Amino acid sequence: MRDEPTFLHLDLDAFFASVEQRDDPTLRGRPVIVGGTGGRGVVAAASYEAREFGVRSAMPTIQAERLCPNGVYLPPRFDAYQKASRAVMKIMSSVTSLVEPLSLDEAFLDVAGAMRRFRDPHAIAEFMRSSIQRDVGLTASVGGATTKMLAKIASDLAKPDGVLIVKPGDELKVLHPLPVNRLWGVGPATRERLDRFGVKTIGDLSRIPEATLVGALGAASGKHLHALSWNRDERGIRPDQETKSVSHEETFSEDKTDRIELQRELVRMTERVGARLRSAGLAGRTIQVKVKYHDFRQVTRSATLDHLTDLAGEIGPVARNLLSGLEIAGGVRLLGVSVTGLSSQGEREEQLSFDSGADLGNREARRALELAVDAVREKFGDDSLGSGAVIDDGRVRADRKGSLYGPLASGEQDRGQDAPRGREGDPS
Amino acid sequence: MKFRCERDTLAEAISITQRAVAARSGAMPVLSGIKVTAADDSIELVGSDLDLTIRVRIPAQVDSPGVSVVPAKLFDGLTSRLKPGAVTFEVTGDDAKISGGPAQVSVRLLPADDFPKVGSPEGTSVSVEAGPFAEALRQVIPAASKDDARPILTGVLLAATATGLRLVATDSYRLAVRDLPGVGLLTEGQKVLVSAKGLNEVQRVFGTGSITVTLGEREVAFASEDRSVVTRLIDGDFPNYEQLIPDGYPNRLIVAKDALEEAARLMQIVGEGRDSTPVRLTMSSEGLELSASAQERADAKETIEAKFEGTDMSVAFNPQFLLDGLAAIGGEEALLETVDPLKPATLRSTSETGGDFLYLLMPVRIS
Repeated sequence: MRDEPTFLHLDLDAFFASVEQRDDPTLRGRPVIVGGTGGRGVVAAASYEAREFGVRSAMPTIQAERLCPNGVYLPPRFDAYQKASRAVMKIMSSVTSLVEPLSLDEAFLDVAGAMRRFRDPHAIAEFMRSSIQRDVGLTASVGGATTKMLAKIASDLAKPDGVLIVKPGDELKVLHPLPVNRLWGVGPATRERLDRFGVKTIGDLSRIPEATLVGALGAASGKHLHALSWNRDERGIRPDQETKSVSHEETFSEDKTDRIELQRELVRMTERVGARLRSAGLAGRTIQVKVKYHDFRQVTRSATLDHLTDLAGEIGPVARNLLSGLEIAGGVRLLGVSVTGLSSQGEREEQLSFDSGADLGNREARRALELAVDAVREKFGDDSLGSGAVIDDGRVRADRKGSLYGPLASGEQDRGQDAPRGREGDPS
Repeated sequence: MKFRCERDTLAEAISITQRAVAARSGAMPVLSGIKVTAADDSIELVGSDLDLTIRVRIPAQVDSPGVSVVPAKLFDGLTSRLKPGAVTFEVTGDDAKISGGPAQVSVRLLPADDFPKVGSPEGTSVSVEAGPFAEALRQVIPAASKDDARPILTGVLLAATATGLRLVATDSYRLAVRDLPGVGLLTEGQKVLVSAKGLNEVQRVFGTGSITVTLGEREVAFASEDRSVVTRLIDGDFPNYEQLIPDGYPNRLIVAKDALEEAARLMQIVGEGRDSTPVRLTMSSEGLELSASAQERADAKETIEAKFEGTDMSVAFNPQFLLDGLAAIGGEEALLETVDPLKPATLRSTSETGGDFLYLLMPVRIS
């Protein structure tokens, strides 16, 4: 615990939904729900207007539609969120290099070193909030405290569009009246167990002797929660949490058993992964394909290249090859592809080998092509351009996407804007 | 079984044979030991991981003959710590009592009956001179691959040429070719692929004198009077390496080998911790400039006097690969021939005999 509330937690308000409202003024003031719109879709984000109807993130979309039939339901535009996130992270980095991103829309900061430039943590919070409003067009809430844990709780209490800096000495006054599930690590199971002790609030929890908690919850959990209830949290900011993988996975609205269709989905996903690698300035060596079956069994297969790549044209064939070694007859519920073993662009020197000589020219050409596609999509949107994916059996098909029409093979479903989308890829 | 011998000779014999002892014994625990056979007036030590077998015979006073298998690591460690002088080795039951000076150690033995029959190929034997053969191995082995995923490249190709023997190794990033004129190890048209790891032991074990080479069906044995190294042959076709060597080079750089070596070492240190930090060679009529840059850590450059003919150009290499090449070529001056920054470069010595060795090296592409 510190003397000054120099741990800050910044959280963008209803992030995905706010980006949609920012980009389409007609959505402002209306309940906006971003998420999967297929049969198994879940809500990724809900605007504050939608929350008034009881819509929450992670709720099945079908349930949300019952609660809020007049809401605007949109598929996620991952690239737009990522772009906004990057701009916000940049603003935070201008305050301190000690930034620990938790996800696209929230991060911890350690501002102890920035106090000389700013009057107090409150001034830093307002500086970041006004910069984000001005440069990115979004609202953010900031919490500040002497510990990381309380900073996160404070930002939650400050929402929406607010700041709460907990003054040193006031910590327990803020913390103790709160329900116990506000603490990290208190899920439904723990909550139920604590309920048996009559524990409702964090204050109740703090009055239970540590030994009793250890007896009830086990050593690690008991000690941890006891410490948190007294605002004891020794964790510091861990900056430079490097991106370990770039992945994309989707849950299908119906289990898929057609190998050619799955191969094509996979190619489409590798294009997303390639584009995200390039936009993040990363390239990776190991390609992994993940398949979840109808019975939730999950298998992964991976392969490692002898060079770094950020090209869908290279990731795709490897991924397809991995998929072709997997059984799919029972039906595939979820398909995903990821690239790991990442290095940043600056490290993209490549040791050439006697074998790579011939590939090299091809790779350069491929790279130029994919960068051109990136540029078109940046300007006209993701669906402006699709690729004709060559499938193993030599047949050529093209996805119909937005303005580009390719030949449709018989029996193939048209995939337009309203295509079923499950969870979008994690920015893990 | 009981014998006495000199600590120094025993310790040396153990350290040589130990290099063939399996790091992980896996299915055959007995292979984590060194087999000791006492007979007449000598003892023979054998270490093997089935792919590689090393035997060393040393003189000893044998009181009673026998065979035992001693855990290799323990045997090596304790023998090297005994006082110089005589060492006594005596087996009672399952244990060996090893004593030297005031120290006495009792070691539980491994079951000698389990030790497999290893490494004694049959075939015609040829004699070669150890010195030049070991030198040729020293030159080509670093270029062989250590990646077991590409087994063929973990071998050294021994091929008969019109004038003698040719040794070739490549890990697909560099290629080393050495000709040994007048060495008739193989008959015309014959070629074999031998484990580089095994040949590395050949190179270390035999310094001078002559070695007898026996080429069997699946193994090849290299033996002197008191030592032998038996290593396996690798199945498969070695890549067609000759087509990799460019027909001609527009750019020729001649530079003092030591100066280039020292500068390359400096560049390597700048990028230390990351093998991939390349050293960039910028060549012009002004000379040669080496540079390396490890982002946000260090930068270095050094200019070296050099003779350059050709078009000014810049090419980057893995510094270790460059250093391996420089260590392999003989002579005082190095000749580096290049085509462009993406094509293989050749490193040779300018000395008269330098023509017998060629080191071909793929650049690192800097994007």
